[in-house]
Amino acid sequence: MESGAPQLPEVGHKIPAREFGPFDQKMVEQYALASGDDNPLHLDRKVATAAGLADTPIHGLLMLACVEPYILDWRSDLFIAGLRCKFLNPVFAGEAIRLFGRVASRRVSPRPELILRLVARTPRDTLAIVGEATLLCRQARGAR
Amino acid sequence: MKGAAERIDSACAGVEPEYTETAPVRLPPVKVRIAPQDVAAFCRATGGHRRPVEVPLTFPARWLALPDARDLIVRSLGDGFIPVHEAQNFAYEHALQIETDYVLTVEARRTPAPPRLTLRMDIATPQGEVCARLETILRIVPAMKPVG
Repeated sequence: MESGAPQLPEVGHKIPAREFGPFDQKMVEQYALASGDDNPLHLDRKVATAAGLADTPIHGLLMLACVEPYILDWRSDLFIAGLRCKFLNPVFAGEAIRLFGRVASRRVSPRPELILRLVARTPRDTLAIVGEATLLCRQARGAR
Repeated sequence: MKGAAERIDSACAGVEPEYTETAPVRLPPVKVRIAPQDVAAFCRATGGHRRPVEVPLTFPARWLALPDARDLIVRSLGDGFIPVHEAQNFAYEHALQIETDYVLTVEARRTPAPPRLTLRMDIATPQGEVCARLETILRIVPAMKPVG
């Protein structure tokens, strides 16, 4: 590794789990306004229950927005170059999520890069999100 | 493990839209500018972001609510159906900057069995350099249970 290059954690390193939320219905409505995603599934309980859900689910992207502070509060010197996820189970208004992250891959050449495996769990301990983030060094990129 | 869309599907079995695979529909390029007040509102609504001078990673997804993109999504879904967010990808070449102009291209493709709508967006500088790409995968499900 180059002198002065950031020290990257080893494969298997775990980022401390962190809770985000709870996301109440007002927060869901605020997110709908700010994002423009006014899908009634998230805003109208009748629509949600008619579609087979127990209550209004929070937006997947509202949950996904928590990944950025989760990672950057851990390592602010890294740039999130990629984020891929699947939404597996709904998280309902009023519930929180708990994020977990683990270093799945690490390389230093040709450029330092980490791959994180990410999981968000619901209060019912079901998987809400599984995903993967690709992290690069900010300094090397001169970005973000 | 059953996903949210699968749960909804099982509640609404028998009312699947009869979608066939279609060729991708690409919207004409759209110019956008990232306004600081929009970033601030987005940061407030998502909470937790300590860096309001930066554009949040997931911010570009809000451009799917621009009139042309929204119209494309609504037309693709059809009456009586709603989208359920199934998967999302972001890939960045460069960070996006506040008070900077970008050009979006949005492409939508509908696929059957199960019905899905895949949206792809490229975000480029006015000079054509791609800064980011995003992909949104939506399951298309009936809005209401069948009567009886």
